[in-house]
Amino acid sequence: MGATPTGGPAPTEAQIARPLHAGFERSAASFPGRPALEVGGRTLSYAELRDYAASLAATLIREAPGGEPALTAVFAYRSATAFAGLLGALMRGHGYVPLNHNFPLERTRLMLEHAGCNALIVDTASLLQLEELLDGVDRPMVLILPEESEAAALVARFPGHTVVTAPELEPAASLDPVEVDPGDTAYLLFTSGSTGTPKAVMVSHRNANHYVDVLVQRYSVTEHDRFSQTAEMTFDNSVLDMFVPWQCGACVCCPSRKTLIKPGRYIRESELTVWFSVPSTAIFMRRLGALKPASYPSLRWSLFAGEALPAEVAEEWLVAAPNCTVENLYGPTEVTVDCLIYRWDPARSPDECEHGVVPIGYPVPGMTALVADEALHEVEPGTEGELLVSGPQVSLGYLRDPERTAAAFVVPPGHDAIHYRTGDLVRRPADPDAPVPYLGRLDHQIQIFGERIELGEVEAAIREESGVDAVVALGWPVTTAGAGGIEAFVADPDADAGDLKRRLRERLPGQMAPRGVHVLPELPLNDNGKFDRKALMKMLEEAT
Amino acid sequence: MSKVSTEEIRSFVLQELDEPLRALGHEPGELPDEFDLHESGVIDSFGILELITALEDRFSLEIDYENLDPEELTKVGPFARYVSQQTAGPA
Repeated sequence: MGATPTGGPAPTEAQIARPLHAGFERSAASFPGRPALEVGGRTLSYAELRDYAASLAATLIREAPGGEPALTAVFAYRSATAFAGLLGALMRGHGYVPLNHNFPLERTRLMLEHAGCNALIVDTASLLQLEELLDGVDRPMVLILPEESEAAALVARFPGHTVVTAPELEPAASLDPVEVDPGDTAYLLFTSGSTGTPKAVMVSHRNANHYVDVLVQRYSVTEHDRFSQTAEMTFDNSVLDMFVPWQCGACVCCPSRKTLIKPGRYIRESELTVWFSVPSTAIFMRRLGALKPASYPSLRWSLFAGEALPAEVAEEWLVAAPNCTVENLYGPTEVTVDCLIYRWDPARSPDECEHGVVPIGYPVPGMTALVADEALHEVEPGTEGELLVSGPQVSLGYLRDPERTAAAFVVPPGHDAIHYRTGDLVRRPADPDAPVPYLGRLDHQIQIFGERIELGEVEAAIREESGVDAVVALGWPVTTAGAGGIEAFVADPDADAGDLKRRLRERLPGQMAPRGVHVLPELPLNDNGKFDRKALMKMLEEAT
Repeated sequence: MSKVSTEEIRSFVLQELDEPLRALGHEPGELPDEFDLHESGVIDSFGILELITALEDRFSLEIDYENLDPEELTKVGPFARYVSQQTAGPA
């Protein structure tokens, strides 16, 4: 399929063979005094953020020299330590593994254990959970607590682990540059898995740099830009939020969780020039009356990714931010954030939308898309099929999971390159110059607020918590962008729905926890003898 | 738009959120005015949308929330007062 008409040349192999933080380092050298990060009411210049990160990196080297795996976890949330922590992990030559204290503890522990990290950078807000988190960890860990200064009490709280507080941090100047293999993991992110366990996606420096370079060129980013930072670090949209601006000396404007509830005011007060969020945020703003004409004149780009973008939202957004260009970005974590992009054109785009949804567009330069049937043969033009993607952004696969890696990262017949099977249903355009439309999922994955959730994983958790085999999880209510939440059905009239809901909330992160649990004597079956999801959906419709 | 009292709005909100409030161990009748529904994990942004939709349906309202301080949007008392004021017509 044709490449995007607005893409420019693809980054070369020589360009992307560098550490992911090289762009940040270069900006720190070119623009030491410019703001790199606004967070928690303070501004850190490039020099300040670089020194903070270098100090953490030098400390990591002193405390945890070498050893596998080359991964450092960052247990910090919307704080200077969160950003310096991941840069510090990269400068130390490690990949970063972001953890979020808003996730259920059990989930965070599973992520930490699966990654196998033995070093953890923690901010004060996340420290509250640290004891409980380490409860199930039986190897000695290096705990870097750069916001703390009372070492004695903390050493007593974490027996068996090495505790490093602010006074014991290495000075930034003591860091000797660490050689990084661009093929190594730059970050490890977890995505929902259908069998009940999440998958740990390994993205290399090379993968991430290809993505960052494509976007930097596409959006002509300069040191005067101010980027939104709406995505949690556990979600790969955050890679754009940070590494695209940092490559060019621009500022990452990180709002508090509270500020994010009123995104309109955040755009105005932070004078953002680049907005990037899931479409749900725009839908939310529209509902709150925050998309009034010319509300956001400072924006020059507005980018949406993570779920289907409704056409009317794109149209209204453009009225509210009249000086910007709107783009719809598409991509799974496994292909490094985004690999197809569509530019909204008020004259042409309304005709290119299907079912009110904006197309996902064209592969970015360097990436190719293939629409294939079940045997992985390319379908005829105008025919629906699964979207497969190949190119330098195809990630390294799933950590310690060769089986699921082999199933998703495939070489289709007649091709040489590894393609990632997205599981997304699209149509191969009849006209080779037309954009690819997004038609939905081939499996039971749904998207809530941009998060890809395997209903199978939710169902596995419900089965375990309820002890009942016959369970179904559904995305509900259905929205143009995806779903609003999850409703669970359990075939056990004696089950305590409230208690089950509470236990699932303790176990599953955010959007994965069912908003409602329905206990039924039995679940309806369809003609194939499978649980009748449509009938359950109808039941929900009738109840509202 | 007819005037709807702060108390009516507040009790509707608490009634709508009765289940999640109790699930988190809160007694809806005893919530302080400044109780934050978002910080406490009772609702997320989608929950706010649902609540606003239910509220507007119940009282036949159409409310513009743009002028409500972000700090106050998710606090029970200030939210109820703002909605009530909006129903009194233009300020």
